[in-house]
Amino acid sequence: MAVEISAPPPRSLRSLRGIAVPKFVSVIGRRVLAAMLVIWGVVTLTFLLTRVFGGDPVNLFAQPTSTAADREAIRQRLGLADPIPVQYVHYLRDVIHGNLGTSYMTFRPVTADLLNRVPATAELAVGALIFGVTAGVAVGVLSAVFEGSIFDRASRILTSAGLALPQFWVALMLIVIFFDRLHVLPGPTGRLPIGTLPPPKVTGFYLIDSIVTGHLSTFWPALRQLILPVLVLGYGVASPLARGARASMILALKADYVRSARALGLSRARTWFVYAFRNAMLPVITMFAGTVAWTFSGTVLIEGVFGWPGVGQYALSSLENSDFPAIQGFVLYASILYVIVYQLLDIAYTFADPRIRS
Amino acid sequence: MTTSLDQAVETIIPKSSRLSGGTVSVRGAIRSLRSSSGTLPIGLSLLAFLVLMSLVSLIWTPYPAAATGTGAFSSAPGAAHWFGTDAVGSDIFSRTISAGRTDVFYTVVAVAISLVIGSSWGAIAGFFGGWFEAVTLRLLEVVQAFPALLMALLIISVLGPGTLNVIMVVAIIPLPDFVRLARAEVLTKKTWQFAEAARLVGNRPLVVLFKHLMPNSWRPLLAYASISAAWVCGNIAALGFIGVGIQPNAVEWGSMIARGESDVVAGAWWEALFPGLGVLVLAIGCQLVGDGIAARNRGEQR
Repeated sequence: MAVEISAPPPRSLRSLRGIAVPKFVSVIGRRVLAAMLVIWGVVTLTFLLTRVFGGDPVNLFAQPTSTAADREAIRQRLGLADPIPVQYVHYLRDVIHGNLGTSYMTFRPVTADLLNRVPATAELAVGALIFGVTAGVAVGVLSAVFEGSIFDRASRILTSAGLALPQFWVALMLIVIFFDRLHVLPGPTGRLPIGTLPPPKVTGFYLIDSIVTGHLSTFWPALRQLILPVLVLGYGVASPLARGARASMILALKADYVRSARALGLSRARTWFVYAFRNAMLPVITMFAGTVAWTFSGTVLIEGVFGWPGVGQYALSSLENSDFPAIQGFVLYASILYVIVYQLLDIAYTFADPRIRS
Repeated sequence: MTTSLDQAVETIIPKSSRLSGGTVSVRGAIRSLRSSSGTLPIGLSLLAFLVLMSLVSLIWTPYPAAATGTGAFSSAPGAAHWFGTDAVGSDIFSRTISAGRTDVFYTVVAVAISLVIGSSWGAIAGFFGGWFEAVTLRLLEVVQAFPALLMALLIISVLGPGTLNVIMVVAIIPLPDFVRLARAEVLTKKTWQFAEAARLVGNRPLVVLFKHLMPNSWRPLLAYASISAAWVCGNIAALGFIGVGIQPNAVEWGSMIARGESDVVAGAWWEALFPGLGVLVLAIGCQLVGDGIAARNRGEQR
């Protein structure tokens, strides 16, 4: 075989070894640098897409009777009169200061708009993650342990369907079944039934706030509103995780160390759920990173269907109104979230897997 | 999207066993057929059913698909309207089978574009390496930091709706995965002896790449293309559902569901159920075919 001609080994901060930088500092430092590079790329890409290729936002504000001078005044006010590179520098400076511009529709800072809506999405996303990850990992591991059984087949059909089903459609069908036919769950009216007042704001999570502030009567309605959207989103989270967990658990169960453990007389349950499980979960951690970010931002359609007043719905309405600062802000929020979660879990992974650490 | 990770795991895992060499044993082939039992034939028949349905809709539908007022508004399924009618009295059965043409065709076109561009790009990056590969990998990281549907929304919001834009946007989403997959394939195979031999007899690098390496790498790519088709059609429907799809009120499954949404919440389930089933059959068909091809690839590598 020929010697492989591959890229030179990546230059790393480990060259700082001369001044004795601890290993984990160099690992984390490199990750932070990489994350910032990606975020800069995202900022640049959204800027290019909206400012260079996008339509002229002045049209949104100008009246049909506006004169050229009026239009120029609007352009000045929006900061669009400068050359593109100058706008770019201004935009970068603003983003670094956490200023994502002013929404063309609400006339409020996009950052404030987004922060207002994050708790609604977060409550939904956290619920979906708790349900989805528990269900997904449990189903995946059990169907690997009982590979080929009826449970395994049923769960594989269910998880395949979970990957293929359009979520907005599942949501609509569940509303038909549970709200319209069975009358056991509330309709798609957002976080609370119409006419119910939200609890005083502490964390922004209605479930927590209603307990903390003693408004227990709001807890139950808020929980009932959460059930369907959490079920739909959680199903979307659980399906890929279950498939991933199953695939990696099957590999782990066939490994030599599992056979050795059994041969040494360890119980079946112990070899499965302690030895094999821990090794099988490593690839699942990586998948989990994508899942978290996706749940926090991919709720656009679900929020639309359920009238949920979160960031997803904000993105949807700003899209309909060509509200570019809002769209840019949302995309930035989503991708920064993705990058941070991904890098955090990657670091966690590095320390969880001794083979990578060494 | 998250789901792509899962598929990537499944398509990439066998690669470790691939290094042991390419011997194909009879027993292995039998086992592979048995392990893929059902998925490939079932998937293919689902897709065949959709194609047949679309072809039938070309020559016959009970009512014209675009016609409104063919019956009462929002009437439940019955003898006159098998799948019921929607809020403007269009026949849902006619629309559902006609919409298959749009969705199937656009899915195929988008996946084909993504496959050809993505895998050539990845193959070149993997084969030549250097700065091109480095830039590619960085770029992929940036693009994949966008949640897929959001990127689609962003681009559509800038370019505006329309057939070409929708196809382009849904084709961009799986593109990074094709780039990665093709790069990984070429990277592992470019040092194999057949590639070495092709180089030694004096072929030019591009000939080695596209005449010798790529034909030996197309099967994982094909499996992934089929699996990604499942999301592509889901994304087409999702864009239609939001109302930025091919065109408002197009005879397309996602737009049909959007038109029925408010009625569905009020109980007219048929307005969303049938177009949704269309998306479902297409997506599951693609997925099963992809799984089947992947299982077969795995089987033969043992």
